[in-house]
Amino acid sequence: MRCGQAASPAPTARSRLRQLYDATSAKLFGVCLRILRDREESEDVLQDVYLTIWRRADRFDGARAGVMTWISTIARNRAIDRLRARGPMAYAEQVDDLEISDGATPADALLEAADDRGRLQHCLGELDERTAKVIRTAFFEGVTYEALAARMDTPLGTVKSWIRRGLARL
Amino acid sequence: MSMSEGPELSETEALAAEHALGVLSAAQRAEAELRMARDPAFAVEVEAWRARLAPMSEEGAAVPPPPGGWARIARLLPANEDGAVTGAVRFWRRSTLGAFALAAASLAVVAMQAGRPPTVIQAPAQGELLNASLMSQGDGVQPLFVAAYDPARRALIITSLMPAGTDVAHVHELWLIHGQDKPKPLGFVEPGKSKMIAMPDGMTGKMAEGSALAISIEAPGGSTNPDGPTGPIAAMGKLARL
Repeated sequence: MRCGQAASPAPTARSRLRQLYDATSAKLFGVCLRILRDREESEDVLQDVYLTIWRRADRFDGARAGVMTWISTIARNRAIDRLRARGPMAYAEQVDDLEISDGATPADALLEAADDRGRLQHCLGELDERTAKVIRTAFFEGVTYEALAARMDTPLGTVKSWIRRGLARL
Repeated sequence: MSMSEGPELSETEALAAEHALGVLSAAQRAEAELRMARDPAFAVEVEAWRARLAPMSEEGAAVPPPPGGWARIARLLPANEDGAVTGAVRFWRRSTLGAFALAAASLAVVAMQAGRPPTVIQAPAQGELLNASLMSQGDGVQPLFVAAYDPARRALIITSLMPAGTDVAHVHELWLIHGQDKPKPLGFVEPGKSKMIAMPDGMTGKMAEGSALAISIEAPGGSTNPDGPTGPIAAMGKLARL
């Protein structure tokens, strides 16, 4: 028993949430931080994410998603909602001053670690560089089509069709 | 439209993918969320896209949250309430043990309701449904298809977790393997799609715990052998009660 409540016959849901927090909060904080670029807001969102997990755990559908997918989706959604509250053009300018970089492990090595990751990586690799990059940016930063278009100085319709075409090939 | 080579997404698929990716504006997001609540088929599609894109999350760096983060959360949890979780046993079991017990029940219900505007989704009692996760064979075992059989409706729902448009040169043929019987073909499953298959009378008895479902990769038209797959088995799983 990692949590040390030896008296309790089964771990309580609360202690399980704690375990989940210990195991996943750094990952989810990274997700929020990449989207919001603001520690304080990210902390708020992170807190909200675990409270949401607590409230909605009964809606978890193991057939549709793994635990990690489900909780990172909650984190992304909450962070993007917060970002949207700043308006559609939030981060239309590239932001470079973020203290987090790519993973501690080279992305490629990580990607090869798991088969499904490898498969997605392979698909992304088949896309042309620009399309793969714009899809990654959209995913990691949660910015709107409008913001992407402004950043790339490219018409909205063009960016949209790059992404749609890219998604169709994933 | 100057869509060159490659598959194209329908307007609905594109919207689902865009919502999962997170490029929609605030208003469009709200609309997409609303549609997910009203249209289970759309919700399934968004979920499938989320699952498809999720591996990208693995790439992102982890950043330890500030100390005290858990304490803040713990203070906000309702005191004395372990029960918020009565229906969530599945989640907690999965989150702690990492067990791969796929529960296809709710998926089946959602898929069956597709096409009707459902308000309340009545889940069949657990234990009635049989589920199977059809795992990839060989290296890197992962679910490629999930299936649920509802004896009351005599209906099998199978969902392909393969990206739509995968390997258009082949078809995915579904087989039922019951005991020592020869495999029975149950039809084809399109990548990225869900399908409901009504079981004929002679087959319902074979949809039992321990029977296996398998997917073989076949040339268009399916296996040329009526008694089993011609092509390789891509995925297989046994039916089990939740």
